[in-house]
This record gives sequence, structure tokens and C-alpha cells, in this order.
Amino acid sequence: MIRRAFLEAVAAAAGGLKYRIGCDCNLAPAAALPPGSDVFKDVGSKLRITGMKVFGITLDEKIARSDRPYVFVKLETNQGVVGWGEATLEGKASAAMACVNDLHDFIVGSDPMQSEHLYQLMYIGSFYRGGPVLGSAISGIDQAIWDIRGKVLGMPVYRLLGGPVDARGVRGYYHAQAWTLEAAKELGDETRKAGVTALKFQLPTYMEWIETNAKLTRAVKSMETIREGLGPDIDFAVDFHAKPSPSVASILVREIEPLHLLFAEEVCPPENVRAMQRVAKRSTTPLATGERLVAAYGFNELIELGVVDVLQPDIAHVGGITALWKVAALADAAGIRMAPHACEGPIGGVASLHVDAAIPNFLCQEICGAVASKEINSVWEDIMGFAAMRMVDGRYPLPQKPGLGFEIQEAVLKKYPFQGTRPFPPAFHADGSLAAQ
Amino acid sequence: MTKHWRGQVAFAPPEAGDDRLGITGLRAWRLREPVSGRRYTVVKLESRGGTVGFGEGGAAVGSDVAEAKAAVAGRRATDAEFIRHRLASFPAMEAAVNNAMLDLAARSANVPIYQYLGGPTRFKARVVARIEGEDEETLAGSVRRGMEQGVRAFSFPIPARDAMWRMQAYTDVIRRRLDHLKEAAGAEADFVLDAGATLTPGDASFIATAFERNHLLWLDEPTDVLTNDALARISDESVTPVGLGRAVHNVATFQNLLRWGCVDISRPSVGLNSMRQIRRMAAVAETHYVAVGPYHDGGPIGTVAAIHLAASLPNFFAQQVPQPLAERDRAMRTELTSGNQETAADGFAPLVNEPGLGIRVNEQALAKYSEETL
Repeated sequence: MIRRAFLEAVAAAAGGLKYRIGCDCNLAPAAALPPGSDVFKDVGSKLRITGMKVFGITLDEKIARSDRPYVFVKLETNQGVVGWGEATLEGKASAAMACVNDLHDFIVGSDPMQSEHLYQLMYIGSFYRGGPVLGSAISGIDQAIWDIRGKVLGMPVYRLLGGPVDARGVRGYYHAQAWTLEAAKELGDETRKAGVTALKFQLPTYMEWIETNAKLTRAVKSMETIREGLGPDIDFAVDFHAKPSPSVASILVREIEPLHLLFAEEVCPPENVRAMQRVAKRSTTPLATGERLVAAYGFNELIELGVVDVLQPDIAHVGGITALWKVAALADAAGIRMAPHACEGPIGGVASLHVDAAIPNFLCQEICGAVASKEINSVWEDIMGFAAMRMVDGRYPLPQKPGLGFEIQEAVLKKYPFQGTRPFPPAFHADGSLAAQ
Repeated sequence: MTKHWRGQVAFAPPEAGDDRLGITGLRAWRLREPVSGRRYTVVKLESRGGTVGFGEGGAAVGSDVAEAKAAVAGRRATDAEFIRHRLASFPAMEAAVNNAMLDLAARSANVPIYQYLGGPTRFKARVVARIEGEDEETLAGSVRRGMEQGVRAFSFPIPARDAMWRMQAYTDVIRRRLDHLKEAAGAEADFVLDAGATLTPGDASFIATAFERNHLLWLDEPTDVLTNDALARISDESVTPVGLGRAVHNVATFQNLLRWGCVDISRPSVGLNSMRQIRRMAAVAETHYVAVGPYHDGGPIGTVAAIHLAASLPNFFAQQVPQPLAERDRAMRTELTSGNQETAADGFAPLVNEPGLGIRVNEQALAKYSEETL
């Protein structure tokens, strides 16, 4: 307090500029433009966001992973139109919810037709650009803004974006496991019967940065078993989940080249793109990554270094529809396919479909579901009012209603009260050291 | 049947059916300004719901229009990605048709195009007038007229070079032109030096370096040698911003220029790229912290569309607009847009908060000035 008083006194003596000490952070901007500012009154719409709500949704642990309670955002407007978005962030639900609320002053009072301006306001106006917490919060709000835009303009969001490329729907893949040949064959039959054309699997074990013959062989064998069991007509990808080092990943993706994977995902940790480039140079197996990146900027290096064949931004983290579309534009110019990541709740999944349907370089859409319908699908139907993110003949049907194409009743969400954040469950190697996952 | 148009992209067959945004007709007017000879193409789309849309592209020939008519058959006015790919080899028509589709869709939704595209990101758009004239006095007169019309930035042509001139002598000639124009404009004007792709990379580097302290907005289209090595000579040796891209009509070319740090302001032409295509180029530029300043040497409908585009982009800097020298050309432009004036206030063009393009296109004037109606 004494120091502060002294500084203020010095400032006052210097002509009353007490807020100029230290830095220019408190200089008035060239034009002060709060949300709803009159500066856009002649060129904006009369629509205004009047309220923003954030909901935490916790499902029973037997139904869904406990590390990712859903975070839903609802925007209300002065004309009764509402918009929904998803800001779910694995292991950081409370932080994401708090961050949505931190953005309140940017959003409430603003014109939701200005989706690009509001995206910039949240991303650049937040000073600390990016990071998964801010990225997820922006994502939830941005999706809700686009939902409102589509409803007001009377068409599904994918039409606003220039789609659909294919009105029959969006190709998708489910998650699957098959540790034996018999199980893989059974899964193949079930998959074909359901009309599904692609699946994604995990590596069978955690990996250290140099691996033993036993674990390398087991990993390769598991993928060979999957291919043999599924047959040649079902595509499959394998999510390495950043478990191996570039050295170990290089061995694996080289050895599985004959299996013709749809892609190998996050073959090594994502922070060091040049390290991942080592893997890319050593194999023809298509590589995919990008689920942990926020905003379009970070994808440039992956594209320019020739690291990826497939990009996987997650609409709940990358910055919503606005950012996902921009990443797709970058990828399209570079001849790179898009397989957006989605392993959270149903709103983000459905929002992804709208972008998928409007981008010519789309490959496949993920959802954390299985070929056989499970209890979680009933919960999603309860929440969304329809069988969200369930494929028909290998495709997710495109929503037909304006906006994102659904309505959610707040009363339904109360059935799944938020029960706090739980961390992503850690895993350990045999010697007790932490394993990447 | 699924058709492949570019690469591996497969688009589903048309299925507009009885959708009110289903396109039912396309007409095109090939226009030429009487004095400047500036050419452009205007397209009108009709829809099942009765709403129409207009779009402008660069000069096109009859076979291009025929391709466009085939492309829109059975499509909705929202099928922009299909049109962008289907007409990729006919850039003037890609621009005209996709822009007309946007006008139609936005009119139908009763919002201006910039709102339809996610704007406004700004409430006015900076303009740079491209002045015309063969001699110093004519150019200075154009600048004075532009200042009276509210323009505060001008793109002026680089003087023709006498083959006997040394580079320093040539630089002095350019500098005298700039000084003369600055005197005509007064202190508040900014300038773009338009090299018109006439310089060698080495000469361009020399000039860019020589004019660093003049703080040009940018040196425009310095060379037609768009290779990384050639352009690096300019961008590595000088800090004068470089504008490039008026002849480019695919996003990958811009991505490559940006990747190698060759461009400070992306300049896709409004006549060769639709608003949607330029938005993709802008998205790529944004990740390199590079601004977009679309090139435009076409008609008045293209100018209006460009201002809508500007209001939807976060990284827009300035829109180049023609400033015709001849009164007859100016009259034609005004007539085409039913009296719309291509003016600015204090250097910025206002946004028009009306549905679609926000202007009334005069079909009688289109017919009057058309070289050919298709």
C-alpha cells in the first residue's frame, strides 16, 4: 500500500497521470467500443445477446468418462432466439465454465450477427491468445452464435458456409476395440451390417521413449489382427494418443504400412512439430494430428513442414465453427484432408457436422460412440431430442432445421447435475513413472 | 451420378427441387466502359422464390458464360462450394456467379451480404483509388478530384522506363511523380506505387529500398516473376511492404507466397475471385499476420461487393477502387447502379445496411452498355 501510494503521488506530481506508471496498459484505446456500442448501430442488426448461461453436465461414470463433464453454453437474445454451443474440456470443466463467464462482458449486449468480430474480440481481446481453456470457452460461445445466426437467417449453418458438398450426410467413424482375431471378425461383421465404413482403435499399451521388442511386436500384431479381422473393405485408423516418442512411432508407422490405415493419429507428443516431422519423413502411413491446437495459427507449422496428411481440430477447443472453418481453408489450400476430432458431448459433434458438410477437403468425422448403440446414446437423445451422432449407412445425417438444427430444454439438463471436475486419469509405466496418454 | 471436378472432390448431384433458393435462370452481360475500355461481366440469377441476385466478375467470353449456366442448373443459391470448384477454371465466372448467389441468398434472408458472411467486423472500409492518366498533370488532377470525393489514399502507376535510364535516374523520375502527387493531395494522403508487374526482381528491390523512407502504403505488384527466390530478393532487401496477387486465383498460390514471407498485403482480384474465395485467402493470410487489400479494376457492382467483403474480414486493410478519368465512364458506372456514387468520406467507404448488395442494379443500363447479352 505504501509503495502504491508513493507511485500515485509521483504520478500526481508528474501532472496527474497516475495511471501511466509502469506501462501504457491503461491508455485509452483509440476507440472504445464495448459490445453493443453505438459505432455499429447503423450497420449491424437489431438483434442483441441478452443473456449467457453455462451448464455443467455430469453423466453417470458407468455411462461416460468422468473426466469430461459436458459444458454447454446457451445464449439468449432480445428477439427470443437462443443458441447453443459446447465448451467441454477434458479434465478442466470448471475452468472452462469459469472462462465462459469471464467472456460475459464481450458477449452480452453484442450483436450475434457479428460472429467474426466477436470471435476476434474473444481471441485477441483476451490478450493471452489461445490455450485450451480459452479456446474451449470461445468454442462454446462461437457455436451458440452460429446457431443463432442460422436460426435468424432461416437455414442450417452448413448452407451459410456454402455447403453441403454432399447432401447425403457426413462420413463418420466410431471407436472400437478388438484384441483377438475372433473379436475383430465379429466387429467387422457388425460394422458392415450397420453400414459403417470406418473405425478407430487405440494402441494396446503405453509406450516409453525407447521400446522393447515385446511391446513393439505386440502393438504391430494388434493392428495386423484388426486388419485381418475387419477385412480389406473397412477403413480403420489407430489413435496413438501421443504415447510413443518420435523414435518409437517411426518404427510402428513404418511396420504397419502394409495395413493401409486411414490414418495414424497423434503418433507422438504434439508440442514439437519438427519431432513429428521425423516420423512423417520415415513412413507412407498417413499421419493425423491437431486435436489439442487452438485457433488456426498453430496449424500452419504442421502444414508447412509437411507433417500431416489429415488435420483434426476439435470444434470444442479450436474456437468453434469460425476457427474450424479457417483451419479447413488452410488445409484445403495445401491439399490436406480434415477429420475433425470430437470426443466430448453431442452439441460439439453436431456443430462439427455443419462445417464438415461445407468443406470440400473433408475426410471423416469422429465421435466417441460405438457401432452398437449404448446407454450414452439414450442420454444424448434425451438431451438433444433426436438420436444425435448416430450414423445411417455410414453417414451422419445432416440436420435440416435452421441453425445447428436442434433445441435443448434446460429442464432436461437438470437431470444430469454438474458434480465438479475430475482430472484426466493418469497412467504409469511398470517402474512407476508417468506414461503419456 | 457423382461428378468429380477438381482433385478428388466429389459433389453430390443437384437437389434444389422446389427450394425457394433454387436457381432457375442465369443471364450475363458483357460490359465495356466507353473510354477506358475496362471490361467486366455482370450476372443475374433468378430463383424459384422470385428473389434475384447480381454479381460481377472480370472479362469473360461466351463459352465461360455457357459453363456458368451449366454449373448452376438445379443448384441452390447457397451451393457456393460446388460453384467455387465447378468454375475454378473460369475465375471471372466463379466470381460473378458466386457473388450473385450471395446477393440472392442475403436478399432472401433480408440481411446485407456482410452480415450473412459474419460481419460487420468494421463499420466503414478504407479505400485506395487507382488513378488514371498518361502525364503528371492528369494524374495530379485525378488525385485532387479523389480528395474532393473523400478519398485519402491513391494507387499511382509507375512511369514507363526509358531503356537508357540508369536505375537511379528512373528512381528520380518515380520520386518526382510521387512528390507531385503528394503536393496535389496535401499532407494527409497515402500512396501505393503500382509497378504493374513490370520490374525485374532486382530493379524492384532497388526501388523498394529507395522508397523506404517515403512510407508508401505498399509497392504493388512489383514483378511478374512470382517465384519464391525472385520475390525474396525484394522482401529480404527492403522493408517497404509488398502487395501481390492481382492475377492469382487459387488459394494455394497465396499460401505459398505467405509461407515464404514474400507478401505484406495479399491482393486477390475481385474480378477473378468470389467473396467466398477471397475469404479463404484471407483466412490463410490471417495466420501469417498479413492483411488483405483486394485489387479491383472492374465495375461498380464489384466495388459494392468488395465493400461487403471488407466488412466481413478481420484482416482487411484497404479496398482498391477504380477512379475513372472519363466522365462517360463515370456516368456509365453510376447508371448501372441506379445512381450509387463510388465516393468515400475521409478515406473510407460507408457500409450499406440493406439486404444483399444493398443497391438496385439497373437492367436497362446493363442492356444499354452490353457488348453481348447471354
